[in-house]
Amino acid sequence: MTNLLLLSSKAVGWLVALLVILILAAGGVITWLCIKRYREKNAKSADAVIGQWNLSGGENIDVATMEKRDKTKRIIKDVFVYIFLTLCAVFAFLPFYWMVITSLKTETEYRLSVPTFFPHQFQWKNYWMIFHQVTSASGSNATFVQILINTIVVGLLSTILGVIITIVTAYALARMNFKGKNALFALMLATMMIPGELYTVSNYITVAKLHWNNTYTVLILPFLVSVYYIYLLRNNFMQIPNSLYQAAKVDGLSDFGYLIKVMVPLTAPTLVSITLLKFIGTWNSYIWPRLVNGNEAWQMITNWVTGGFVDRLQPDGFSLYGGGTESLDTLKMAAVCMVSLPLLILFIFCRKYIMRGVSKSGTKG
Amino acid sequence: MKDENKTEVTPTPTPPPKKHNKFVQYFINLGHRIKGWFVDKWTAIKDFFGSIKTYKQRKLEAELVTNDGPQLTRGEKFRRGLKSQSGWLFVAPAILLMAVFTFYPIIAAFINSFKQGYSGMTGKFNGWGFDNFVRVFRGDTGTGGASFVQCLFNTLILTFISVPLSTLLALLISVALNSIKRIQKAYQTILFLPYLTNALAMGAVFATFFKIIGTASYTETYGIVNIVLGVFGIAPIDWVGLTSPHWEIGSLSIPWAKYVVTTIYEVWSGLPFKILILFSAMQSINKQYYDAAKVDGASRSTILWKITTPMIMPQISYLLVTGIMGGMKQYSAVVGIFGATMGQDYDMGTMVGYLYNYISLGQTGYAFAGSLILFIIIMIITWINNKVTKKHTTYR
Repeated sequence: MTNLLLLSSKAVGWLVALLVILILAAGGVITWLCIKRYREKNAKSADAVIGQWNLSGGENIDVATMEKRDKTKRIIKDVFVYIFLTLCAVFAFLPFYWMVITSLKTETEYRLSVPTFFPHQFQWKNYWMIFHQVTSASGSNATFVQILINTIVVGLLSTILGVIITIVTAYALARMNFKGKNALFALMLATMMIPGELYTVSNYITVAKLHWNNTYTVLILPFLVSVYYIYLLRNNFMQIPNSLYQAAKVDGLSDFGYLIKVMVPLTAPTLVSITLLKFIGTWNSYIWPRLVNGNEAWQMITNWVTGGFVDRLQPDGFSLYGGGTESLDTLKMAAVCMVSLPLLILFIFCRKYIMRGVSKSGTKG
Repeated sequence: MKDENKTEVTPTPTPPPKKHNKFVQYFINLGHRIKGWFVDKWTAIKDFFGSIKTYKQRKLEAELVTNDGPQLTRGEKFRRGLKSQSGWLFVAPAILLMAVFTFYPIIAAFINSFKQGYSGMTGKFNGWGFDNFVRVFRGDTGTGGASFVQCLFNTLILTFISVPLSTLLALLISVALNSIKRIQKAYQTILFLPYLTNALAMGAVFATFFKIIGTASYTETYGIVNIVLGVFGIAPIDWVGLTSPHWEIGSLSIPWAKYVVTTIYEVWSGLPFKILILFSAMQSINKQYYDAAKVDGASRSTILWKITTPMIMPQISYLLVTGIMGGMKQYSAVVGIFGATMGQDYDMGTMVGYLYNYISLGQTGYAFAGSLILFIIIMIITWINNKVTKKHTTYR
């Protein structure tokens, strides 16, 4: 079975060429049909004009033929649209497919001059190997487990603290009265115009002077406050009618109790979006951890995936191909799968919330 | 009060009913109009100051009402005043963090970029001036880092090719999605899949499509793209490697093959968001427009370019603005495909890549200057976008 799917490079090329030729042929046929129809239409109208001259009645086409023609036109259009959409879907999906199958190939199969579209032999050991990779460029022993723990700890802490700060700040800006509130809000919004790269240089110096390099603090603190989420939540809070507040006051709730028991449950969808986007942002962070945490043991999962993955001889004598120092793409693809799959799963289960959040903010966290 | 003010101002006096020559009459009318304009302005100013006065009076009245009760002690007054300001307690954590990590860096960036030979760690510098900017533009930084002009050129080219291309493609896909009825949901799901991906991880996947693997003497595989192109008689191109083809104009190198790879990747990763926005905008267009167009016998392309596109113009301009602003800050895509050195000696460097290069080299003065230039460019692009799109977003 797998032999059938093993295609030579020539065969792959011919298949693609055939596909292109088919599409071109379909386009040609459709164009020809359109031209033909156009000519017919013109001829008919000329007939009709002549018919008018001859006073022998107007249109020659009856309703049935017109409907039939409309139907064929619609089918041709639909075929065209479906071909286009299928090509785009293939374009969108192909990298994922390629990622998964490459991660399961043996390195020898990956390096065949003839790319295979389905692995002959599933090399699950690739995944085993990346779990035992040790990146030791700076003398530290950073394993995948260590880096996963880093990412989860930093992700959870920065998400929880960030959401708490966002809620409290948004509540104060939406419901409380204090001097300079509007000026403060305007100042916060103004910083949204400025690209984050402008801060990075100073922040790098600040954290280096505080000796925060190679800690979790440096990964969490600078990104806790997100003005956009505060703005989003404040607008949500403003929509809650004031009568609820008065009712809560009558029932003897404090300001803080009102925030926790009334406002937070009412704005739950927005909060879920913010939480998810914050966590995804941490998962995808690359530049800042690399810059401030030179020690690999303190870096995040995206930093890990950009490193090289080699078939290093393990302490227990295990190796895939006898050990080596060359970076192997199959191992790298396995690592890429490990990083991408949680995101895909999250996307499938929380599509609604993520899309709502992203379509509002236009960022990926 | 306002009303009183208004009654004081007499409307522009009517011209005396004396008959004049047509030519003279024109100038008399003109004079009246000019006078009327000044009177209007004067009224507005008067109204404005009048309203301020009333506001002050109102405040005074309000104070009188509140102070009607029992006289408060000084301590009580202070306590109440403090309690009314308790909002500051709620925003304090956010303000503290922003002061350290947002407000201070902005000020510092503006000041430090003018310090010659500034070193962030020691705080030493040689003097003030535009030296950093001049050196950044001339590429005369003393350390063999990335070239600023090359990085700027790469960023601009990549942004202004990939953003319009992906927006146009997203528009076509949304129109196609909107016109079908069967298995629409399935197409939607697949097209949205690249949405939440790790830019660096997927960049590595794209690199494997284009990579030539082997040693200098023996090539093991040319990569899938080269094999497909080979069918059409195109010789294998080293898309991402060391021998990648490039043109040279002066000191500028144009690695066109690498541009192609990056553009394809950026279109791929940018499409889902654009389709999401455009498709939901299309679905919210009132169907009556289409019915009316059909009755008038408009063709499909007329409907697309004369009805659908103008109706979703706000969304398109939004996508262009955010796309270009994101494109100016691109970094991860290039690092994902070409590795942390951004190609060969930063020949695929971007503006942000330039900054990080100089931060890690310890030359923070140049990094500050670069970040300020990036900020100014983004401001200019935002301004131009606002100017241009204002004209086209008058629908709805």
